[in-house]
Amino acid sequence: MTGAEPIIEVRDLVAGYGERVVLDGISFDVYPGEILVVLGGSGCGKTTLLHHMVGLLKPLSGTIRYWGRDIGRMDEDELATLLHRVGISFQGGALFNSMTVGENVGLPMREYGNMDEEMVEILVRMKLSLVGLANSGYLMPSELSGGMKKRVGFARAIAMDPEIMFFDEPSAGLDPILAAGLDELILDIRRLLGVTMVVVTHELESIRAVADRALMLDGGKIIFMGKVGEAEQSSNSRVRQFFDRRPDAAIGEQV
Amino acid sequence: MDEASSVARVKNTSTVRVSGALADRDGERLVEEVSGIISEGKKDVSVDLSGVEHIDSRGGAWLALASLAAQKEGGRVSLEGARGEVAEFIEMIRPVFEERARPAPPRKGVFETIGGKALDAWGELTDACGLIVDAIYWSFIAPVRGRGLRWKAVTDEVNEMGYQAIGIVCLINFLLGLVIAMLSATQLRRFGVEIYVASLVVIGFARELAVVMTGIVVSARTGAAITAELATMTVSEEIDALKGMGLNVAKFLVAPKFLAILVVMPILTILGFIMGVVGGFVLGVVFLDFTFELWWEHTIWAVTVGDVTQGLVKSFVFAMIIVIVGCHNGLRVVGGARGVGLATTRAVVMDIFFIIVADMVFATIFYFIT
Ligand SMILES: Nc1ncnc2c1ncn2[C@@H]1O[C@H](COP(=O)(O)OP(=O)(O)OP(=O)(O)O)[C@@H](O)[C@H]1O
Ligand SMILES: [Mg+2]
Repeated sequence: MTGAEPIIEVRDLVAGYGERVVLDGISFDVYPGEILVVLGGSGCGKTTLLHHMVGLLKPLSGTIRYWGRDIGRMDEDELATLLHRVGISFQGGALFNSMTVGENVGLPMREYGNMDEEMVEILVRMKLSLVGLANSGYLMPSELSGGMKKRVGFARAIAMDPEIMFFDEPSAGLDPILAAGLDELILDIRRLLGVTMVVVTHELESIRAVADRALMLDGGKIIFMGKVGEAEQSSNSRVRQFFDRRPDAAIGEQV
Repeated sequence: MDEASSVARVKNTSTVRVSGALADRDGERLVEEVSGIISEGKKDVSVDLSGVEHIDSRGGAWLALASLAAQKEGGRVSLEGARGEVAEFIEMIRPVFEERARPAPPRKGVFETIGGKALDAWGELTDACGLIVDAIYWSFIAPVRGRGLRWKAVTDEVNEMGYQAIGIVCLINFLLGLVIAMLSATQLRRFGVEIYVASLVVIGFARELAVVMTGIVVSARTGAAITAELATMTVSEEIDALKGMGLNVAKFLVAPKFLAILVVMPILTILGFIMGVVGGFVLGVVFLDFTFELWWEHTIWAVTVGDVTQGLVKSFVFAMIIVIVGCHNGLRVVGGARGVGLATTRAVVMDIFFIIVADMVFATIFYFIT
């Protein structure tokens, strides 16, 4: 992993909403084939970071490069072409509620895969069976439980066999058995399909199971970057607090 | 990754050997070979994967397609010799190799369909009646009994539905007044009684035009907004959240809108009436060269309190139609964004339809009692 060229380079990223700066100059790399976990307290800007990394939001300053190319300088078509190689699973699932589960997963294949309908159906079923929903393709999203929606979102993210995947809290809202299953799936997909992943998660178990490296955000800065094992020995009290699951004196407004 | 891959049938057996990565070209070949063997009357085909080092989803899909093609002809494909990652991947996507069990959509006969539609319509009617009762209770009875009313919401709605709509309602009625005056002037000119345009416009606007035009404008503005708001809240579980907090939807959402629209519609109707008459004035005084006094005299002389009352009564009824149709459609929405769009369209169409039907009922009643 070390020594290889990074796939994604984030440099001095400053991001925020309007006047409010959420990420204050952060830099890091993502290497091919690794699973990088992004951690941090609620509201510290993990989702914001992910959305910037896939070009949904424009940074206030700083650059994000994929394979050496700055996405800030790409036009819409170039960015779209790049995003074909990227899969995203959103925090809320973000399924299209007026389509069946199968149509949701098959949407990107039908829109830019130029494949036979038969092939699409098999692939949809395959992706759904990977998340344990092989026979739910005909259901509407409103007929699913929260955890099922999450898994369909996951299946849609891997629909196009992306090279890089972003997961925003894939296992939040799943029971421990399913959550562990999802961790295993993340590891399997990485191993069998060689995908690079950036995973946002709060679950300590998940972090220990899947992470090659962890990146921890707090107060708009990176307060830790490295192996999970090192994090638990970190000298930063905030990092250790997270791994020891110690509460703040009071759950205050951490803005 | 495309290291010299191949698909070949082993001579005189029912085995197909695959090696390399199973790219699309080979996939098609594989399906052909398997179908070929089945068509020779052999039932069991084995696919030898011992030469496959790596497989991706497309490759897996081709294996599945070959397997399903065989099953369709009554045959069976067994995958053999898969090693390491390939074996693991195949294990993970196991369900894809089985014929899918898709529940057949229930078929319905003509009578069932008609019966179902009738039941639906009846259900909707009772729902809507329930909504009217709730709205009246929470708007008028509950506040008196000290069960509260969200006054802030009412004033917000009055502002939104009424104050914001004044401009468009006035403009439309003014223009319509002008149009009606021109239309009738060309007809009445032949009899030399153009002055009666004044009476015609004032009676038309008092009884029909002001209230119907205002009703249509309000249903397009407010009716659509009510449905879109409630429908979005329904699909995003906000309505469930309200109920879960023990809050009453009729009190929380419907009553403020109901009260507000009952205040707003008559006022907008009166404004529309005045602007329609002004439109007639502009034509008469500016273009037909009548004096202001004469036109005014004919206007006042023609209209009675009864005419204006008729318009006002209708404005209350139209207001109720708009708010009930709007809320009803918003609360029964299913599906996501598309459902919201459909519900909103349906609500506006229903509003206009019911407004015209109600207007006709009133016209019939007044025709016979006067
Ligand atoms: N669309 C937005 N407009 C304005 N502020 C926003 C917006 N989205 C997020 N924020 C703010 O940015 C900060 C970071 O939000 P973000 O969603 O990135 O947090 P997060 O780390 O993903 O939290 P969580 O773990 O709860 O999902 C929060 O303080 C939030 O209030
Ligand atoms: Mg988040």
